[in-house]
Amino acid sequence: MAQIPVQTIHRDPQLFYWILAPITVVMVLTGILRHYATVMMATAPKKMDQKTMREQRSLMHGINLRNNYHVLSKRSFNVRRDALTAAFESGAYLKNPDQRGQAPPNPLSDPSAMDGMMGMMKNQMAMIIPNTLIMSWINAFFSGYVIMKLPFPLTIKFKSMLQAGVATRDMDPRWMSSISWYFLCIFGLQSVFNFILGSDNAASQMAAQMNQMGAQGTPQMFGPGVDPDKQFQAEAENLAVIEHYSVLDDVETRLLEGIRA
Amino acid sequence: MAPSLLHPPSHLSPAAALQLSQQAPSVLQSSPATVSSAPLISLFSTSESPDLWLKYENLLLSCLRTGDEHAAHQCLDRLVARFGEDNERVQALHGLVKEADANNTGALEIVLKQYDAILAENDTNIPVTKRRIALLRSMGRIPEAVASLIQLLDFSPTDPEAWSELADLYLSQGMYPQAIFALEEVLLMAPNAWNMHARLGEVQYMAASATGATDAASQKYLAEALKRFSRSVELCDDYLRGYYGLKLVTTKLIKDPPKPAVKATDLDDFAVPTTSTIEKLNELATEKLSEIVRRYTAKERQWHGYDEAEIAAARELLSQDASQTER
Repeated sequence: MAQIPVQTIHRDPQLFYWILAPITVVMVLTGILRHYATVMMATAPKKMDQKTMREQRSLMHGINLRNNYHVLSKRSFNVRRDALTAAFESGAYLKNPDQRGQAPPNPLSDPSAMDGMMGMMKNQMAMIIPNTLIMSWINAFFSGYVIMKLPFPLTIKFKSMLQAGVATRDMDPRWMSSISWYFLCIFGLQSVFNFILGSDNAASQMAAQMNQMGAQGTPQMFGPGVDPDKQFQAEAENLAVIEHYSVLDDVETRLLEGIRA
Repeated sequence: MAPSLLHPPSHLSPAAALQLSQQAPSVLQSSPATVSSAPLISLFSTSESPDLWLKYENLLLSCLRTGDEHAAHQCLDRLVARFGEDNERVQALHGLVKEADANNTGALEIVLKQYDAILAENDTNIPVTKRRIALLRSMGRIPEAVASLIQLLDFSPTDPEAWSELADLYLSQGMYPQAIFALEEVLLMAPNAWNMHARLGEVQYMAASATGATDAASQKYLAEALKRFSRSVELCDDYLRGYYGLKLVTTKLIKDPPKPAVKATDLDDFAVPTTSTIEKLNELATEKLSEIVRRYTAKERQWHGYDEAEIAAARELLSQDASQTER
């Protein structure tokens, strides 16, 4: 059987000092820079005025009653339910009672909503700009040749990832070009940043991406574009359909049985 | 358990508070006076942790309580240096220190005016609002305190601390139904707080034994108090106050049993359990109370967390009971 000869490529050892190390150092430094840039660009959360707070917390109050009604006796629960549903339905807790029934303002024209959008934009920019710059820097200076050999074998599928910019069909995928090293750094430096900057740093892009995913998954409760009046109506309905039971029903028998058991 | 600086010190005994405040010099010395947030320095120095600031705040409270004004001012200065004068929590602490420094009513009035000024600027500053209410209460202006609390609860009805303060204020005025309402709100926020269940039971017991309560009303209160205490010990097996209350209520119910005429109230209220159940509950409470007292007195391991005064009260209740049975 014919053995595939082991490919050997003689490389200048200086490649390591002048390409691998600089790329790594630059990546770490950009990460740190990005962290502090994000910290400095972050705006303080906007102050809520009393009416907004009242609106949101009253809704929370209703939700709380719906979740924990079982601690109350039936009489106290009924009193609360009547009061809250009446208030919710008449819109007593709304921030602007005169705007009831109107369509919610367009979130794009709402200045308070713009703040959140700007924050997201800034974060995106802080990630995209340095990445683009570094990538073009690497492509301009270090493309077209392999710089190192990975110490473990890989299948052919990895060729396009590891040998970007080196158009050689038969080369072993273990050989790696500088742009691939850059990609490895992007994903692999997470723990280094955790070590340098603490675990809740803004340098890691993975965390940022996860955040965006999460934000899309769960609808915002008090976000822009949500009509509070509708929320109140829904909550009033939820409260109205509760069939009350109390945790205090038969608690003494439960207690006596539990102690005996 | 040794008192820790990471927990709010308001419930500590005077001795424990003193012990905490005596740690002040060492704590103040061991941590740096300022924490810089400049990037380069924070890379090389130890990073700040939220614990540190919590420690300062609790130390400040303990020091004020034990009269160590100097250390308190130092803590405050560090908090101000870190968070700035405008931080809501720092403003409240600042006011607290000023209240402690004030030595006559006139000075307190000035502090009150300052609170009003802060609140006129920013009406959602909850720490300062609470400070103002506490100050009004300690100056004896209860109606004003209640009015401001209600105003606070109108725009922030999900605040258990405020609701329980309101309950306490109402209770101090003997307004039991209002106090019960406020305590129920606290329970809605914290449905498994056994101490709040027991507290509500206590207030209901007080309402039942208050002069002027009709038979029907007092029975309704007693039935619910019994259930509240049962729930409280169901949630926490060794809760002394729960068993104490349970014993009090059951003894009272055994002594004058509910009249069948008033029994047919409407279905919304809890019915008083049968006499045999009440007797069993009474036995259970007596048994558990004596166990707690015995084990506490014997200084058994894991049984020394009880309050000295509460143990003494339980012992007295038990001895009353014993003298009755002898007769």
